[in-house]
Amino acid sequence: MVNIEDLKSEARRVLKGGKVKYIIGYERASETWKANPIFLRTPEAVDKLVWDPTCFHNLVRFVVDEKRRKAKEKQPDTRPVGIVAKGCDSRAIIVLLQEKFIERMDVYIIGVSCESTGVIDERKLAKKTAGKTVRKVEFGEKQNYIVTTEDGTMDIPAAEIMADRCLECIANIPVVSDHLLGDKTKRAVARPFQSVEKLESLSQEDKWKFWTDQMKKCIRCYACRSACPMCYCDECVVDTINFAVTADTTAEEKAQRIKWLEKSPVDSENIFYHLVRAIHLAGRCIDCGECERACPVNIPLRMLNKKMEKEAKELFGYDVGFDADQPALISCFRDGDPEDFIR
Amino acid sequence: MDKILAKKDFPEWLKKLKAYRVYAPRKQDDVWNYEPVSGPDNVQLADVMTAVPAKKIVFPQREYFFEFRETDDNGTKLTELLPEDNPVVVFGVRPCEGKAVTLTDKVFSGEFEDPYYWKRRNATTLVGLACVNPPSPNCFCTSVNGSPHSKEGLDILLTDLGETFYAEALTKKGEKLIHEGQKLFKDPKPEDKKKAEKIQVEAEKKVRRKLNRIENVPLKLKGMFDSPLWDEESMSCIRCGICTYLCPTCHCFDMNDEVETTTPLQGKRVRTWDTCQFPDFTMHSSGHNPRPEKSSRLRQRINHKFQYFVEIWQNYQCTGCGRCISLCPVGIDIIKVVEKVRDYGS
Ligand code: SF4
Ligand code: SF4
Ligand code: SF4
Repeated sequence: MVNIEDLKSEARRVLKGGKVKYIIGYERASETWKANPIFLRTPEAVDKLVWDPTCFHNLVRFVVDEKRRKAKEKQPDTRPVGIVAKGCDSRAIIVLLQEKFIERMDVYIIGVSCESTGVIDERKLAKKTAGKTVRKVEFGEKQNYIVTTEDGTMDIPAAEIMADRCLECIANIPVVSDHLLGDKTKRAVARPFQSVEKLESLSQEDKWKFWTDQMKKCIRCYACRSACPMCYCDECVVDTINFAVTADTTAEEKAQRIKWLEKSPVDSENIFYHLVRAIHLAGRCIDCGECERACPVNIPLRMLNKKMEKEAKELFGYDVGFDADQPALISCFRDGDPEDFIR
Repeated sequence: MDKILAKKDFPEWLKKLKAYRVYAPRKQDDVWNYEPVSGPDNVQLADVMTAVPAKKIVFPQREYFFEFRETDDNGTKLTELLPEDNPVVVFGVRPCEGKAVTLTDKVFSGEFEDPYYWKRRNATTLVGLACVNPPSPNCFCTSVNGSPHSKEGLDILLTDLGETFYAEALTKKGEKLIHEGQKLFKDPKPEDKKKAEKIQVEAEKKVRRKLNRIENVPLKLKGMFDSPLWDEESMSCIRCGICTYLCPTCHCFDMNDEVETTTPLQGKRVRTWDTCQFPDFTMHSSGHNPRPEKSSRLRQRINHKFQYFVEIWQNYQCTGCGRCISLCPVGIDIIKVVEKVRDYGS
């Protein structure tokens, strides 16, 4: 099991040596039982670091921010940023490397193994605790979580409140790291892609109904896109901010700039937005589940992306986020690629 | 006007409200939201916090302003599309949401009276439910001049006495709604009133979070526009729309022309919610973006709520519902941020 003291001492060591600009990790603020992202700049700050089953965020999202920040600095500090990365997070780093969005020396990866238990799903936990105030969630010794509430402690089997993605995880130990903590253990709770099977078995009409009903709930807050480490486009279809306007740009040109979709949360626009996002994530989504976790109205977005992952696997034998040297799915072609779906 | 309604008679009351479109909190996929009620037996009033606040009923995320259409003689025909004023009633409104509506009332009146907002607002009766157990672990209404039994903005306040509701009609609209229920409503006994008051006072003690000593925050914020605090506090912000779209007091909007056909040119001008957290918020057509960084966006959110709004309307633009804290994907906590502003440099 990952020993928090080992994590802290490694973090202190790299900060002391000035090896990294800062470390992105997890802390727990006094009022909450959940971990929050924290940016550690000094060895003293490392005391705040935590590692527990509420470290569900994919911190790679902040590596994307760092690249933007650096691009704007006149004399950028080119040291890497340190990052605490779980298995899924490390796969996100692989995709960013593969797409040459970042270089390997941009990040110092402190890998943590999730071992036999992954992180929890807050909504599943809420059902178990039924209104009681949660104070703390810890890893248990044998595939369980110890949850402390205002009423005492509960021992909950991991599979009951584990995040869906963790049930199907295929890399519970980081695939790339500079310093690795924890052990490689087995975790076979569910078959890979098991969660999409039920939806796949529905008729076309029922699938359409399922998704249109879900998409109706969307308020287009874009938390799904904003939480995603792969949604790093400078200009997203949903907010055109880079339309170049000069003194000569006419009102007509401004009015006629391409508007891919309306801001209105109506069926057509909601579905269009989500389909664009799903297509753009095919062969890129590493199933960290952040989009679904962030969604305030609980739309099962993971199902869309998981289905794309499955297609990539079944059609092209493509596994996402394991090999930084492999050409990206969308930008490569092999003679043997199936093409019978082109009609 | 105070009355008593037996809980078992509540569906009967709903049956009499045929003239109204009725909304109440409903749970779908583990998330509560105000939804149209499908039948009188399908409403269970409880201490819950919806994800989307009741503001969506008076200030919907999308609404039409007018329709435009190119005419044969190369002119344009405009038709105003005011909302219908069919009566609406919303049950289970939290007192912090009622208070929030009084704040949007201010914004949409005065110099620029907004007919679209007021048409809906005047047609809507808000039936509040006093919180017996404050629904969110992040409730802090008592710190921002509110309370779990605040009556501001509501037309009726119901207090759950176990078997009955203690119903206080607070406006003409509220009285009318109670009259629709006729004999279902009884006169309360003095002990009912005592019991309601006791529950209300107890509830105040159960509000779990506090934001104390903030009287000087509005003034302090004035001097903190260029503070490094904004960079530090916004480091983990992913700039989504959650904290603002779901805030009962946030009211920024965007207007767009949605074109339906180009020959003839025809479509609608539409108003939708907008948020200071989005990258294109108030971006100028020159390409200049007044708030290009997420630090300036967090600053805008806090400044608007705890400085600008106070200067203009003498009220915090926050009623302590805790939504922005509970739902923020990265745990940015408005209480902590405001406390840091309060304690900054001391
Ligand atoms: S997070 Fe949810 S509500 Fe927000 S845009 Fe994404 S799907 Fe829609
Ligand atoms: S909800 Fe949180 S992450 Fe999203 S914009 Fe607000 S503060 Fe930032
Ligand atoms: S600022 Fe946050 S706590 Fe205050 S009213 Fe808005 S959502 Fe609620």
